[in-house]
Amino acid sequence: MTQLGFYFNQTRCIGCHTCAVACKDWHDHQDGGINWMQIKTIEKGVFPHLFLAFAAIPCYQCESPVCMAVCPAGAISKRATDGIVVVDRDRCLGRETCEKTPCVKACPSRSPQFGSEENAKMQKCDFCLDRLDEGQQPICVEACPMFALEIGVLPELQKKYGNGKEAHGFRYSKKIKPAVVLTPKPEVYSNVYPPESGG
Amino acid sequence: MHSPNNFQQSHTGVKIVNTGCCHDCGGRCVLKAHVKDGKILRLESDTGEDPQIRACMRGRAYRQRLYSPDRLKHPLRRVGKKGQGRFERVSWDVALNEVAGRLEHIKKSYGNAAILLMASGGNQGMLHGPLPVGAMLQEFGGFTRTWGIASYEGAMYASMATYGTIRTGNSREDLLNSKLVILWGWNPAVTVQDPGTSLMLARVREKGIRIVAVDPRYSDSVATFAQQWIPIRPGTDSAVLIAMAYVILKEKLQDHVFINTYTVGIETYTDYLFGIEDGIEKTPQWAEAVSGVPAEAIAGLARDYARSKPAALIAGWAPARAAYGEQYSRAANVLTAITGNIGIHGGYAAGFMRAYSSREFSHKKVMARPGQAKPKSTGNPVEDGAAPRKYSLYKLYGGTNPNGARIHNTKVYDAILRGKAGGYPADIKMAYVVASNFLNQHPNTRRGEDALRALEFMVVHEQFMTPTAKFADIVLPVNTFMERSDIAPPWLGAPYYIYLNQAVESLHESKSDLDICRELSKKLGVSPMIFNFTEDEILQGIAGGRNDIPDYHAMKRDGVLKIRLKEPIVSLRDQIEDPVNAPFPTLSGKIEIFCAHLAEMNDPRVPPIPKYVPHAESFDAPLAKQYPLQLLTSHDKKRAHSTWHNVPWCREIGPHQVWINPRDALTRGIENESLVDVFNDRGRVRIPARVTERIMPGVVEIKQGAWYDPDENGIDRGGCANVLTRDDPSPGGAHPMNSALVQVERSPEKIKS
Repeated sequence: MTQLGFYFNQTRCIGCHTCAVACKDWHDHQDGGINWMQIKTIEKGVFPHLFLAFAAIPCYQCESPVCMAVCPAGAISKRATDGIVVVDRDRCLGRETCEKTPCVKACPSRSPQFGSEENAKMQKCDFCLDRLDEGQQPICVEACPMFALEIGVLPELQKKYGNGKEAHGFRYSKKIKPAVVLTPKPEVYSNVYPPESGG
Repeated sequence: MHSPNNFQQSHTGVKIVNTGCCHDCGGRCVLKAHVKDGKILRLESDTGEDPQIRACMRGRAYRQRLYSPDRLKHPLRRVGKKGQGRFERVSWDVALNEVAGRLEHIKKSYGNAAILLMASGGNQGMLHGPLPVGAMLQEFGGFTRTWGIASYEGAMYASMATYGTIRTGNSREDLLNSKLVILWGWNPAVTVQDPGTSLMLARVREKGIRIVAVDPRYSDSVATFAQQWIPIRPGTDSAVLIAMAYVILKEKLQDHVFINTYTVGIETYTDYLFGIEDGIEKTPQWAEAVSGVPAEAIAGLARDYARSKPAALIAGWAPARAAYGEQYSRAANVLTAITGNIGIHGGYAAGFMRAYSSREFSHKKVMARPGQAKPKSTGNPVEDGAAPRKYSLYKLYGGTNPNGARIHNTKVYDAILRGKAGGYPADIKMAYVVASNFLNQHPNTRRGEDALRALEFMVVHEQFMTPTAKFADIVLPVNTFMERSDIAPPWLGAPYYIYLNQAVESLHESKSDLDICRELSKKLGVSPMIFNFTEDEILQGIAGGRNDIPDYHAMKRDGVLKIRLKEPIVSLRDQIEDPVNAPFPTLSGKIEIFCAHLAEMNDPRVPPIPKYVPHAESFDAPLAKQYPLQLLTSHDKKRAHSTWHNVPWCREIGPHQVWINPRDALTRGIENESLVDVFNDRGRVRIPARVTERIMPGVVEIKQGAWYDPDENGIDRGGCANVLTRDDPSPGGAHPMNSALVQVERSPEKIKS
C-alpha cells in the first residue's frame, strides 16, 4: 500500500498561519471552531534566554489510525491507494447521537473535529483529496510562504528529508504511526552574546 | 469588463481571475480568484515561476473581508451624535448632493484651504484610493493636505539627510553574500514588507551566515532567524549605535579609505564620540546605562560588524517610529558608512531600504541634481507659492514634499482645534477622508475625537463602519480591489508589479473611488482630465509611463509582471564605483555624517551629526515615576494596520492582548489573560494581559490597529494603541508611536466568561 506522509520543516516556520487560513478558505470553513490545520506555539525559557517554535498540525493520516479503531459506526476508513484517512459523513452518527465522540478523544492531534451545528458530523483534514486528484499539492503546502511543508509518498519523503519523527509540539506514537517526517527546530536558547562566546 | 483572455478556463466551469492583494503592508501579492456565477469561491496564490509571490494569511482571508456582513452597503447620512455610529440610508444622489453642497459652501465661506484631505494607503493601488479625490479637489480650487507618514518618516528623513536618496536597499537575495546580518528592530515575519523576505532570511541562516537581532521583543523573526538576541530598551537605539561607532574608531577598525573618499564630517562625529564636544565619552558603558544592553555585548557587536565585511545592518523602521527616531536611523546609516558597507554585494546602507523603483530609475539623472531652492508646484492652488516647511530638507530632490502649507499627520487634531491662531497654515472646516482609518491610526485618539467633533463637515470613503467613519456626516461605500482593476508595485524593492483584475462586480451599492469622484465632480462642475478616460485607459496610461512594463496586456493577462534583473540590486553602487562622475545626491556630493542642511536648522532636537537625544517620555524622564512602563505599538500578524481587524479568520488566530513581562506582572498582581488597564494622561485601554518572557521587563506592547471602542466612561475596550501615544512629532517628522510612557494595573472588573 502506498502511504502518503506530511513533511514539516520546523526550523522554517514563522507561525504566520497562512497554511491554516488557506485551508479554511479552500474548504470554506466559516465555522470558527473548525481548524483542519492547527498551529501550536511553544515558548520556553526565562528572559533573555528564550526558545520559540511553531508546529503546523494537520491530520497525519496515521498508519494505524486510532480514530478509525474507536469509531462505533465504522465511519472512518483508510484508503488503500494512498493511506489517507477519510470519514464517511453519512455513516458518522453525529456529535449528539454518538455522545462520546471517541475519535476526538483518541487522536493526540485532535484532528477529528465537529462543527457547531446541531448533531454535527465529524470532519478532518484529508490532504485536500480534490487537489491531489488533480496532481496538485494540498492548499497548505502551496500556501506556505516559507516552503516548509510537503506532501509525498512516505518513504520518498524519508529519503529526501531523513527519518525525523519528533519536533516541538509533537510526540510520535509507535502505536498509531503518524505518517510524518519532521525537521525539528534545535532547542537552542537565545543569548545576548554570540553563541561561541558562552557569555 | 475583461477580455476573455483574462481568464483561464478550468474544467469545473470555474473562471480563474488573476488578481492580487493590495493593502497598507507594502507587499503586494498574487491572488487567483476562483469565480463561479459572479462569486469568488476560493483563492489560490502564486503557483508560477520563481520567485513566487505567495500571499500571507491576510490575503488568503480576503473572501471573509469581501463578503463580510459588515460591508457598507449603501451611502449613509449621520443621524446620531458624532462618534455614536447612528446613520440612515440615503441614495447616492442625495449623498453626493450633500457633499457637493457642503464643499461649495465651505469653499465660498472660508476658502479652499479649509478643506483638509485626510488620506492614507489603506485601500490604495496606483489608481484607486486617494488619487482621484486629490485630482477632483485640485480642480475644485485646491485643498490642504498632510505630510509625515507614520510608518517611516523618521527613516526617510535620515536617509535623505545622509545619502540624499531613499533608494539605499540591496535586493533581499544579496543577503546571501553577507558574512553577518543584523536585524535591528525589524520583524518581517509579521510585517512582510516584501513577500519572500522571511524565506530569504531562512536561507541566509541555512547557509551558515550569522544573524544577530536587536529588539525589545523576542519577535517571530528574532526567534526564527537570529542566533543572538540583544534586547534593548526602546528609544535608546541611537545610543548603542553611537557606542558601536565609538568602539570601531577607538580600536581603529574603521574603513579609512571609504571614509576619506565618500564621506564628510567624520571629525565632528569623532569629537562627539570622544567627548570633546560635550565632555561625555560615548563608551559602551555609557550606552549600557541608557539602553540596558551590557557594554561587552555592544563592544562585541561593534567588533563583529567591523570585522565581518561585507555585513548587512538592516535598520528597521520601528525604532525610528519614535521621538527623535531620526537619530537612530542616522546613527545606523553612519555606522554602515564608517565600516564601508555601502554599495557592495553583501553590504547594506540601512537608510530607507528601497531597492527597486521604476519611478526612481527613470528619474535617476534628476536625482543627481540637488540644490533646489524652493518646492516645485504641486498643481494644488492652496499650496502654490508656499515657503518650504521649517526643518524640511527642501534643498534636496526627493523624499517628503517640503511644502510649507501642509500639516503633519500627528498635528492634524491640533490644527483643527487651533487653526491659524495656533500657528497652522489654515483654519480647517471640513475633512475629506479616503483610504484611511485616521482616528485609529494616528496618535492621541481621544484628542482626535475632539477635533473631528469640531469639524463643520466630514465625508468618508469606506468599506466598513470604522471608528473614523463613525464621525462622518456622510459615508460613501467603496468597493474592494476584488471589485475593480488596478496596478500595484511593492514599496520597498522587489522588482515586480501585480495587476489586479476585477474579479466580481461591485457588491451592494458600493463604487470605486474613481467612480465616486467622477459623479461628484459633475455636481461640483469640475472635470479633471483623468475622468475623461476609462479605468483601463488610465491604467494603460500609468503603465505607459513606466520604462519597465514592456507589455501592458501581458501583465494584465498574467496578473503579475516579474522583472528579471541580471544580478541582485546593490544601491549606491554607482556612487562607490565612480565617485567623480556619480556623486551622492547630497549637497556635498558625499555621504553626510555631518549634514550642513541640518546644521542650518540650529536645533538640538535635530543635530547635524547623529546623537542620542532624550525626550519628555524617555525611560528615565520625570514622567516615568508616574508611568514607569514603555509602550511599544508594533504590527500584528493578523492585520495590516487596522485592515482585517473585523475578519473572523484573522481574529481566530488569537485575542488582542497587552504583552507584559512576568516580572512586571508579578509586582502588579497581574496573571496571564486577566483583564488590565493600560493608561496614561491621554487615555485608558482595558484589554487582557499576555504575560510573556518574550518582552523585556519595563516594556509593554499593544499591537496597533485594533479598533477604538470607547465605553460610556471613555475607557477603550477595543485596545486601540493610539489612545496612549503622543501627538508630538520630531522636527524631521518621525511619529512617536513607540515613545509613550504608561502604567498597567489590574482592571476593577473581571473578564466575563
